[in-house]
Amino acid sequence: MARRDLISGPNFSGRSAALMALLRDGAFASESFYIGPYSEAALSGLSSTIADEIELYGAMKASFRRPPFSLIDVAAFSQREPQTLSGGEQVLLALHCFSLSGYRALAVDTALEQLDQANRDAALDFLDPRRKLIDSVALIDNRLPPPLRGWRCTERPADTTGLACDPRRVVADLPARRAPAITIRGLTFAYRHGRDIFRDVDLALDAGAAYRLAGPNGAGKTTLLKLLVGVLAPSAGEFLLGAEPYRPWRQGNRAIALATQNPDHQWCGATLRDDLSRRRAAFARWVDPELLADARMEALAAALGVHSLDAHLYELPLAARKRLSWLWPLSGTLPWVMLDEPSIGQDLATRTQLAAAIGRLTTLGYGVLFVTHDDDFASRIPHQVLAIGDAQVKAG
Amino acid sequence: MTPNGAFTLGFVLIALGMGVPGPRGVAVLVALTLAFALIEVRGASVIALKRAAVVVLPLAVFMGVVWVGIVGESPYQIASESAGTRAAALAYVATLCGRLFFIVAVVQLVFLRFAKLTPMQIIRALALPATVKRVLVITLSLIGTLRHAVDRAHIALIAAGTLTRAPSWRNVLHSWRLVQAVWLSAVTIMVGRMRDKWPVENTIARLDDTLANDNPAWFAGDDRIWLPISLGAAVVILVADRIGEAL
Repeated sequence: MARRDLISGPNFSGRSAALMALLRDGAFASESFYIGPYSEAALSGLSSTIADEIELYGAMKASFRRPPFSLIDVAAFSQREPQTLSGGEQVLLALHCFSLSGYRALAVDTALEQLDQANRDAALDFLDPRRKLIDSVALIDNRLPPPLRGWRCTERPADTTGLACDPRRVVADLPARRAPAITIRGLTFAYRHGRDIFRDVDLALDAGAAYRLAGPNGAGKTTLLKLLVGVLAPSAGEFLLGAEPYRPWRQGNRAIALATQNPDHQWCGATLRDDLSRRRAAFARWVDPELLADARMEALAAALGVHSLDAHLYELPLAARKRLSWLWPLSGTLPWVMLDEPSIGQDLATRTQLAAAIGRLTTLGYGVLFVTHDDDFASRIPHQVLAIGDAQVKAG
Repeated sequence: MTPNGAFTLGFVLIALGMGVPGPRGVAVLVALTLAFALIEVRGASVIALKRAAVVVLPLAVFMGVVWVGIVGESPYQIASESAGTRAAALAYVATLCGRLFFIVAVVQLVFLRFAKLTPMQIIRALALPATVKRVLVITLSLIGTLRHAVDRAHIALIAAGTLTRAPSWRNVLHSWRLVQAVWLSAVTIMVGRMRDKWPVENTIARLDDTLANDNPAWFAGDDRIWLPISLGAAVVILVADRIGEAL
């Protein structure tokens, strides 16, 4: 008998704890495959290559087999390290490994939110009880509203904790500014031993507008953000910030506030105070010191649900860390704001407020570039689409 | 050749190299190593030599400057309070660095012999107790976690304007922040894995299924040729120079 459980509810309503309690319940399954949010909880961490990750699960003893869930080009990626895949590709890899393993049950905590629409539809079809490929599935997904046919839906009640947030309050008092345009000419980039991600791309990003980077998992959306902040260096091409040449990989980032997909890729200190003091030191030459004042930052952090600068970042719940990752971009410190999958793991109310905050930034003259697979979230922000595919970026 | 055979051969070669053989012994040892490289590793041997050079060259330059350039005599001459010469110091540096070069090259040759296998496949093919194999996998996992943490910390500190991707004084000044960010990231990754993924899946216990690989034989195939040859060569290496001296 196929069992399907969808655990829904707002953030901090104890959904992940409820999922874990369900997995410990003998009636669900004796052992389950688990895909958590982000790589540390999606992949085993025991494999040096993707081929090893697949072998690890594929070689386990199994009393039955199911058809493989193969939406990732395993042959092309086999020698790469699993952590070098994009977030969505890691989820596809995890689902592939599950399909080869002997586990009869699957638990997914918000991970499907990282998939593009086509892959997400395929994944939900794979979990469908009518296909009878999996005995038991437990799922948390903010974009899947109950009721869901064939699924047992548990709605967790809202818990009024001190973590309540409203991103609109962070941008409420920001002054208007005119961000410099970003011009990209002849951008070419490929990862070592990999195909071209970008080939001779020209792109103009004007201030006062929001751009949505769209494309399938692994197309290069996050890669473009990493190039613009200087984490990666292009093989060829040049960037201009306004009329000035801009080489962030050489000179350092001085114009872009980035919120990463996994918030833990963003912290540069153990506490929020450490993190902000390091950013303050790095950007002191280019930023109005009043914008960086502790008192202001503490008030803005409170609007995102964290009431002390001395909060230990890694002790906060994941959803709270994700919200806090918006602090730096929304604080208006830098003229360009780049957000990688900002709505992942967030309930509808918070997603709506975040969209409103991003919309306000553009009306104030900031430039915004964001990545999301959440069409509903994107539709709440006036934006232009930049489609990435076949090593090109096209306005669409 | 099996990984067991290659690792055993590598161990024998390194042990012989450490045994300070005389010139005849060295000639036999180098001939045996070259034969292994040319027959088993082929073109990839050049990669092994390059990697060994990259490891040893900086040390050789440093030791050359210190012992030949500054001290001007070998440690043996200092210990025996005899007159020191730069030629003796150079011979001392060359011997030490040559031995290190040999060890690194042999290790590289052994691993390059199985370049087409993934780390998990090599460990699966080893005829070792499951516990030892599990420890090897977890050790590799720890190394992978640290590399992943370095990558994450780089992203954080470059995006935050603290570091630059290209070499810079800013990177030198803030290197301790990178170290702190790496350790915080590594701990977070491990906690995420050990709190949720591994307990739910019982991953570590199930790892034994993957590593079992139907109990591979200790030695098979070409191992049966290489190991007797290496043991025979060991005898020759150990006695060649003594016989020469006796004559």
